[in-house]
Amino acid sequence: MTPSQHDPVPPRTHGSDAVPGTPADRSAVGPRGVSRRSFISTLGASGAAAALGGQAEARLAAPIEDGPVVLGPEPVEVALTINGRAVKTKLDPATTLLDALRLNLQMTGSKEVCDRGSCGGCSVLVDGRLVASCMMLALDAVGHDITTIEGLAQGDTLDPIQEAFVRYDAFQCGFCTPGMIMACKALLNETPKPTMEQIRKGLSGNICRCGAYTNVFSAVLEASDQAVPVDQPVPADHTDGGGA
Amino acid sequence: MTPQDAHPISSRGSGAEQIPTRMPTANRPQNAGKTVNGDTSRLESVAKVTGAAKYGRDMQAPGMVWVRGIRCPWGNARLIGHDADAAKAVPGVVDVVVTGDTGEYNGDAVGYLLAENKLALSRGLRALRARWERLPCRTGIDAREAVLSVSDKAENALLFADHVLEAEYSTPVQTHSALETHGMMIDHQGDAAVVYASTQGTFAVADEIASFLSLPRNKFEVRCEHVGGGFGAKFQIGKEGAFAGNVASSLKRPVYSFCDRKEEHLDTGNRPSALVKVRVGFSKDGTVLGGQIGVWGGVGVATRGGDAAIPSGRYEFGVIERSMTNVSFNGGAPRAMRAPGHPQGAFAEELMLDEIATIAGVDPLELRIRLDKDETKARQAMYRLGAEMIGWKDRQPTGSQSGVVRRGFGVGSTSWRALRGPCDIEIAVHRDGSAELRTGTQDIGTGQRTACAVLAAERLSIPLELVSVAIGSSRLPNGPASGGSVTSPSSAPAVLAAAADAERQLMEIVAQQIGGAGTDYRLRNGKIVRGEEAVMGWNELCRRLPSESLVGRGTWDGRGSPYFQKGNSNGVQFVEVEVDSETGVVQVKRVIAFQACGRIICRKTAESQIIGGVIQGISYALFEDKLLDRQTGAMVNPNLEWYRILGANDMPTIEPVLWMDAEQTGVRGLGEPPVVPTAGAVAAAVFNAVGTPVRSLPIRPDRVLAAVEAAAVAGVAKGGAS
Repeated sequence: MTPSQHDPVPPRTHGSDAVPGTPADRSAVGPRGVSRRSFISTLGASGAAAALGGQAEARLAAPIEDGPVVLGPEPVEVALTINGRAVKTKLDPATTLLDALRLNLQMTGSKEVCDRGSCGGCSVLVDGRLVASCMMLALDAVGHDITTIEGLAQGDTLDPIQEAFVRYDAFQCGFCTPGMIMACKALLNETPKPTMEQIRKGLSGNICRCGAYTNVFSAVLEASDQAVPVDQPVPADHTDGGGA
Repeated sequence: MTPQDAHPISSRGSGAEQIPTRMPTANRPQNAGKTVNGDTSRLESVAKVTGAAKYGRDMQAPGMVWVRGIRCPWGNARLIGHDADAAKAVPGVVDVVVTGDTGEYNGDAVGYLLAENKLALSRGLRALRARWERLPCRTGIDAREAVLSVSDKAENALLFADHVLEAEYSTPVQTHSALETHGMMIDHQGDAAVVYASTQGTFAVADEIASFLSLPRNKFEVRCEHVGGGFGAKFQIGKEGAFAGNVASSLKRPVYSFCDRKEEHLDTGNRPSALVKVRVGFSKDGTVLGGQIGVWGGVGVATRGGDAAIPSGRYEFGVIERSMTNVSFNGGAPRAMRAPGHPQGAFAEELMLDEIATIAGVDPLELRIRLDKDETKARQAMYRLGAEMIGWKDRQPTGSQSGVVRRGFGVGSTSWRALRGPCDIEIAVHRDGSAELRTGTQDIGTGQRTACAVLAAERLSIPLELVSVAIGSSRLPNGPASGGSVTSPSSAPAVLAAAADAERQLMEIVAQQIGGAGTDYRLRNGKIVRGEEAVMGWNELCRRLPSESLVGRGTWDGRGSPYFQKGNSNGVQFVEVEVDSETGVVQVKRVIAFQACGRIICRKTAESQIIGGVIQGISYALFEDKLLDRQTGAMVNPNLEWYRILGANDMPTIEPVLWMDAEQTGVRGLGEPPVVPTAGAVAAAVFNAVGTPVRSLPIRPDRVLAAVEAAAVAGVAKGGAS
């Protein structure tokens, strides 16, 4: 899969060192790595519609086909599609997707950890692909399908990856977990049966401070119906306690 | 607590979970009856995997005001000007409070700014245009000023030595970097408040915040149902808490005050840096006769707290004279961090042992087996089994490899004394047959909530599904702060006592209903039995309760309990590394972590503690370093990309081995012991691979390349001389 020119969110790049959300590939964390400042100027310039992609143009709250417009400082109304539901909110144009989720919509599953795209704690899916929501403006998310951690389970039925996280104790404090699960989900969407190498690469944009990676790996293998490796047995003369 | 919390049942399996073990239990060291529970998942699992778990940082209230510190950007500086009016003119900025004009370290606060929303907070701080005059600063321990003193006692020991090793080991400042930053949301309602804190000490926060809130203790509550990590840095409210308390009480409004990632690195504590100088003598076979060890601890603007635990006491070192000096400089003050002082001490001690072994020409594992003082002999068995498991026989002599990729093996040891604190537990049994365990202590990811429920269910002999846990509130019974691995050993006896008290009261009710004395009856497998005869079911008994609920209370004051036992939690870790001698990159391939752990209450959470400790140890060994610019004193990597933390791509295979001694029935905490030996074992393994020790953490590629170069030069010199 290669990113098309109008593809607002470049795909993950498993197998290379460029990992979304890490310094190695900043372009992957938002549409073409737009900073807040450059976004505002791009929006005002001609050709902004093309830069945003046709879909975005159609659904953007402010009409941009009439030429340059100034957004803010007053809040602007935006309509977002989150977990299959259309939601509306008013926000400062400089608001990130993460803050829109957490502060405007009270969807606090996605976490703010580093606030600069280097830890994966705020990961969400945008049109099925992994994005650090702290590095994407909420306005840029207009017209795209956003999936957050709150949208994975169907009612009381957990997604297989969530279920595997529970079974393998793939977290301790749980603060990295929403982002980690979204990264796993993106990986599995793209690579239904990832190898260990692909799992490591796919999750290398997500930091877990408690150190649950071992169990996260097991959970990904389990969720992709692959055998989970088992540690070698402790030598047989020690199967009944430590008083050797 | 949400209903989801209480039923972490997998949707795929039916009822109890099937086969979810990462490794077959049959392969683990076992003692029948010692593992209370094998495969229970955390009670709060579902809340955590669905994003429903609410942490302090997730709390919001209408009309909430945001707070952020005005912080010194340099190591030492004076605030010479700022534009408060411009800041207040920014839409949304509420107020600017400047309380001082000097910053003694990068991150030191001289006041704070209040705003109606998050964006106004950062815009206001920019508009404030704080101007600073830089002053000379000091950014760490100056090794030239650290002079190892000479004592007669130590010198006498050296007289009989065949060899003397003089070496200097150093470790960096490590930040805790919990993913949830420090702070609190105070929902102040004028005459009452709820403090949603990110803390590992619910009651410590209540004590500290009380003086700010000007509210009596019965008018506010500290809550922390879920906490995003602590690791020792979250016992106190810190400046961010003090700001929040001040603002909440003066404005009588809800306040949100959490550090951003940069503030978290700068001003919420750290593991202090250490410089360890040794001058030790040993005989031809590596037996250490004694010598001098000096420790200098870099404590930032603090004046104490910098000690490194060397000698650890685990090895026989003969006559050691020891000195310790705290070195202050322009940096943030340390706080307790997972086994405070021990990883830095163990790094120096384990690498020193390998250096001694290499000079003496003996196997470093054999040397440890010889010097180890563990009276329980558990570590002796761990050394032998670990060697077999990791393939120690394949280890090449140190300095003998010349290929591009070199393989090294290392080993290190740990011990942690059983500690405890006072703890009260309540268990309420309801008419509907459910039970709620109440404890004010907190679960910062250790599994505390789950362990309490498992123990209560076992003692009451009812299914775990019937037990829920209310945790993390200053309105609940008093419990310990999560530090020193005390939470589990302090809670377990109190849970047993509370369950026993509930059973006693319940059995008296049975006796009133059907005759006899309460002591004739007891709970077994969800039934009330007299001898072997079942006389009533649990649900029937509960329906007959005279009131809605019955509360069993347990207090533990430290006196005899089968679930607390003195002694050490011993452990040994084996490490295998690969070192690329051309790039200097070290990859840890495999770690086997033996950990004596007493009685295991919940195997999954126990193993997670060990795996997590090992990972933090490797991260400390290879990556983490809070770097201060020598000229300005500013931290150059105050984020999560340049302050590097071990990630998925750096992961070795880690095999925790829960070691259950036949004599040890006490419950142990596993926060500290597994983090102690890892960095030392990694350093020893790198030395084994390369041939020259890297005596400074982190073991960065440049340091490894320098060691490779030094080994090559030494090899040439040796070759030339022979």
